[in-house]
Amino acid sequence: MKKLILIIVTMFLVLGLFMASGINSIAAGKDSIDVAVAAPPSTMNPHGTDSDSNQSVMGNIFEGLLYRNTAGKLLSGLATSWERIDALTWRFTLRKGVKFHNGNDFTWEDVKYSFERLKEPHPVSVFLSFGKMIKSVETVNNNPWVIDVKTTISVPYFAQNLHQIFIMDKESTETRSLGEIGQNPIGTGPYKFVEWVKGSYLKLTVNENYWGEAPSIKNAEITPITEPSTRLAAIVTGQVDILQGIPVELFETVANNINIEVITRPARRCIYLGLRNSPGFPASDIRVRRAMYMAINEEEIIEKVMFGHAFPASQIPDPPTVGYDSTIKRFPYDPERSKILLAEAGYPDGFEIRLTGPNDRYVRDAQICEAIAKQLAKVGIKVELDTKPKALFWPDVSAHTLEFFLIGWFDGCYDSGRSAGPLLHSVDVEKGYGGSNGADYSDSTLDKLIEESAEIVDPEVRADKLKLFTRMAMEEKIVIIPLHYQEDSYAVYKERGIEFTPRADTWILFREISLK
Amino acid sequence: MAKCIITRLTQGIIVLLVVSFVCFTIFQYFGDPVLALAGRYATQAQQEEVRSKMGLDKPFYIQYSIFLKNTLHGDFGLSYLAQIPVLGLILERLPASIELAISAMLISLILGIGLGVIVSLNPRYFINRFIMAGSLFGISIPTFLIGILFIMIFSVTLKVLPTFGRGGVIKVIGNWRTGFFTIDGLRHLILPAFTLGVYQLAVLLRLTRGGMLEVLREDYIRTAWAKGLSPRIVIFKHALKNALIPVVTMAGLQFGELIAFSIVTESIFQWPGAGNLLLTAMYETDHPVIVAYVMITSILILCINLFVDILYRFINPKIRYE
Repeated sequence: MKKLILIIVTMFLVLGLFMASGINSIAAGKDSIDVAVAAPPSTMNPHGTDSDSNQSVMGNIFEGLLYRNTAGKLLSGLATSWERIDALTWRFTLRKGVKFHNGNDFTWEDVKYSFERLKEPHPVSVFLSFGKMIKSVETVNNNPWVIDVKTTISVPYFAQNLHQIFIMDKESTETRSLGEIGQNPIGTGPYKFVEWVKGSYLKLTVNENYWGEAPSIKNAEITPITEPSTRLAAIVTGQVDILQGIPVELFETVANNINIEVITRPARRCIYLGLRNSPGFPASDIRVRRAMYMAINEEEIIEKVMFGHAFPASQIPDPPTVGYDSTIKRFPYDPERSKILLAEAGYPDGFEIRLTGPNDRYVRDAQICEAIAKQLAKVGIKVELDTKPKALFWPDVSAHTLEFFLIGWFDGCYDSGRSAGPLLHSVDVEKGYGGSNGADYSDSTLDKLIEESAEIVDPEVRADKLKLFTRMAMEEKIVIIPLHYQEDSYAVYKERGIEFTPRADTWILFREISLK
Repeated sequence: MAKCIITRLTQGIIVLLVVSFVCFTIFQYFGDPVLALAGRYATQAQQEEVRSKMGLDKPFYIQYSIFLKNTLHGDFGLSYLAQIPVLGLILERLPASIELAISAMLISLILGIGLGVIVSLNPRYFINRFIMAGSLFGISIPTFLIGILFIMIFSVTLKVLPTFGRGGVIKVIGNWRTGFFTIDGLRHLILPAFTLGVYQLAVLLRLTRGGMLEVLREDYIRTAWAKGLSPRIVIFKHALKNALIPVVTMAGLQFGELIAFSIVTESIFQWPGAGNLLLTAMYETDHPVIVAYVMITSILILCINLFVDILYRFINPKIRYE
């Protein structure tokens, strides 16, 4: 008996020793950095997924023909210059003297190979639709440093997308299995891959042979921590240097911590409500659409549901996107006017409608839906809530069977013309339009505008046309009811003296971060 | 004995078949992986191309039979999300889960049985009543909350233990990494192992105490005391050995659960185990990972149960399997 107690006491003593054996080790060495992210990278195949959490990692190891800086401006990358020769041809001058991490030279063959690779469906590439638009990649006058890329149709945003189409080494990609490619990336980027322990960390080290300016951070570690409170504990204790994604519920706690600097910026993603206009549905009447818009108190949603961490939106594109029109304003919140409009449209007592939305995709998505339901109830519209996991929500969207639904979107290549096709064009399987038009919204005038805009070669003319489209869609037709842009937030551990400007696309590129 | 093992193995194969069938049936109704894999700008025609290339356009029974055939060849396919062979993906993560489960098991066995014995000897002592009340907490507080509380207390407030991950690990063979041999690795293990083990600890404690209280009243124990045997021999050799039988069964059954259901603990502490992988896979409709995970853990649990059955026979020779 005494012995037993003795054993247990000793055990606790040993345990105590362990605990006392060290204060928490501060993340890393002098020129190293440790970043905690919410979503783990899923693959090292740069064409394998287009999720920003993965592209964020790939952007350090690989490069595209072009590059975007923190503000989203398109700059030269593996191509030093680019121009659109005609509707179907894009000409690029390639950078000389670039080497892949395995020592291979970067040539036009790699560009051709990488573009061809996009066309192969899963498990090779998720950029299938973009790849299929590429017809050929040829050298100009047999000069291997100037290439013409021909597209099958006019793709006005072709160059705009090239910062996220990464170039792979032809030789090592052809000879290795998919499993190998998916775990050992070989790029031309400023950082080389070191080690990836899945679920734990991914280590990068600086590429000494990088053609560009040498980054000040030499070693980087990316640690996924999916559980929000643990992620916060990690930054509060200084175990990581930068943390991406502060949950809005815990924002104040972090902001009040003296060791931590909080950096925020409006996110590119717009959260909006899609609304069916097929004949027979109440919202086929423009007065009903306007009434529903005016019954939604976005200010209240931002304040109460988003805890102040969102920005009201009046349209789907965000300011840097081609087609954004700053003159568009939100309709004012006016429940009285809304009731009058409903009565005029023949619904003095309102109607019933089902609101579908994901509950695990956007920041507080299910709670936003609940708030919308309560606000619409005030003007007599009875909302039946139908929130579900995204795995079940997406099939509903692609089936186009929804009447009223919440979704978020931003265009990765900053072109509202590209997004309008799947989001707002009538569903047209043959032409490939309306893929994410969950409520099968249909308007022939808008369809025509979308199709016409793709044919315009002059970027200025096209931008005006897209602005016109956006204004018409938002003010006249009320295609969708915009809610807000989310907020991107980062916590930085002050002690390290990190200079960090968040990117519009939420990628964390270590070359853009410096240490004082 | 051999006959018993053979019966158990056949039963096991049937269980695996049923499990995989159920998995496959559920997938028919749980999300459509093609939507994500074709890309968000894919046209319907391109989605169909991806679907047919993946064989997902084939009827259910054909998909299932292809899966069975591949599985028998040891090929669980590629992860949708990672485009990496699933088996390697899971085997790489399994050591972390097993280490966590073993540590949690050790903690719950040693503390559970130890405290159970102490409490049973003097059930009326205040401190022992206090332990019993504490064990109720252990059973009723959700793992999730315990984990967060531990982090708040030991990492954020006291700053003595790390919040997440496995810390320093050593590569043993291939992808098998262990945290057992570094101080850093062990320090990282403490919080998650206790979090995962608390429930088992409480259960085993109550089970041991109950068994002991019953056995201590038996005539042969009274005889043993009367004979003047030392308390050590009476308690451990005569009483505990007989009180342990239900404890062993319970512990065996729960070890499988510790491996298979450590998902919550793993996600709180960002423990890079298989449970964490499963969670991401479910979230992202990564069907091949889910089905392989379920199959592998089923096999593990079947093996553990078989092992417990055999162990049982040694502890209590009265049990026959015929």
